[in-house]
Amino acid sequence: MEEQFAEFRAELDETGSVYEQLRIIAANLDSFIRLMQAALMPIHHCSFPQVKEKVKGYMSDLCGLYAKLAHVIKDKPGQYYRYHDLWRNQTSTVVFVLAFLHWLDTGGLLTHTETEALLNLDPAVFGIDLEDYLIGLCSFSNELPRYVVNRVTAGDYNCPKEVSTFLGDLYTAFRTLNLRNDHLRKRFDGIKYDLKKVEEVLYDVKIRGLLNGPSLQATATGHESNVATSHQ
Amino acid sequence: MEEQLFGTSLRITTGNNNNNNNSGTVSKRESVYCQQFQQYAHQLDAVNEKRERIVKASRDVTTSSKKVIFQIHRINRANRGAALQQAERDLHAVQSIHVRRVAQELKANETWKYKRAFSPGMQEFVEAATTLEFCKTGKLLTLQQLNASLSHLKDVSDAPFSISTGDYLLGVADLTGELMRLAISGVAAGQREVAIAVCGFVQALYKGFSQLPNTVDIRGMPKKMDLMLQSLIKIENTCYAVHVRGLEYPEDMIVNALEHEEIDSDQEA
Repeated sequence: MEEQFAEFRAELDETGSVYEQLRIIAANLDSFIRLMQAALMPIHHCSFPQVKEKVKGYMSDLCGLYAKLAHVIKDKPGQYYRYHDLWRNQTSTVVFVLAFLHWLDTGGLLTHTETEALLNLDPAVFGIDLEDYLIGLCSFSNELPRYVVNRVTAGDYNCPKEVSTFLGDLYTAFRTLNLRNDHLRKRFDGIKYDLKKVEEVLYDVKIRGLLNGPSLQATATGHESNVATSHQ
Repeated sequence: MEEQLFGTSLRITTGNNNNNNNSGTVSKRESVYCQQFQQYAHQLDAVNEKRERIVKASRDVTTSSKKVIFQIHRINRANRGAALQQAERDLHAVQSIHVRRVAQELKANETWKYKRAFSPGMQEFVEAATTLEFCKTGKLLTLQQLNASLSHLKDVSDAPFSISTGDYLLGVADLTGELMRLAISGVAAGQREVAIAVCGFVQALYKGFSQLPNTVDIRGMPKKMDLMLQSLIKIENTCYAVHVRGLEYPEDMIVNALEHEEIDSDQEA
């Protein structure tokens, strides 16, 4: 019996040290992502190009941190999910930031595969769990009502229409998923409340005739108008 | 204006219809997203359905392992040989039928992804196997021996299925609870030596467990260690009662006294 427990001691020492290595990297990842998120938040009152540059500046270090995580795990196939809890929340937040940034840039939705590519991740070795990606999108959705409110205050009256279209499409797409009664399901339910709030802002803007009024010079993509109207 | 408003909100709430105003690009984008998400839906469905199958198999492992343990508790001096054989057969059935179902769902890199789905079942199975081994030989079935007996169960990539160290340790922690019951019922049946053997065995186990580092990876270990200590204390109290009072009182009075203590302490807890 003692022999067996001595073997277990050695084994647990080893897995314990792997856990510790990963925990430290994940803690760095966590504080780094907070910085990145903080760099994105001025989007509520600043111009996009400024914010975009700042956030993009963090990307290479972020990729480095994920590369470190991948490096620890790469020799141990299948252990991604053993330690997954260490970076689950951080990854969802990363997806949120990247998806928001991508939408501000292009008006489109960042896909799961594109996210992995942005972070230089090889899904066969260390990818992004699909649920983490989806929850990141839900967080992105949660941010949009506030964004719309602030854009309108700044005079960008096209924003609500664009966001409500985009969010409506996102919500429709999400509805194709067969969700269980778990955390993802609850977050998914949140999207429709975000959509509702955005529609309320759209309504406010429309009935006051603001849509066809002052910002008539705003062009096709609301992002240009974002830039145009915020330097006031 | 109002028509427009009405038209707009109608479009938003019934996102799927295609008769939109200036909507050529909108509905196209929507269907691109839907296509994308359909892929995601397939992936999620596959994962969820596999998880459910594994949970069901794990529950069956649990119930059938518990039956093996009950069978072991029914062993007495009269039926020992036959009852042990029956327990062996039952344990083998648990393995070849239900544990096999778990094994067959797992690809090489997926053990940890679905761990929570089948961990309880494996722990119960370990508990049953180690209890039986103790009854037969008085020794601790090692993880190596247990996995050797499972090596004929293959997973999807044809690799042998094995029980993890964490599940084994948690199962052995539960074993001490069953041994405590065996000790007390042994005394009741007039076999004081069972209690003494169990006591030494569990003391050695507890010592081994106490020296394990870094069990932060193994969910629920601290609580199990608490329970293990409580079982050990009950076993030691049993030996004490047998030793101190055994010279004066017959067995069943001692057992009654012990059971009263047990009930009292359970009510306190």
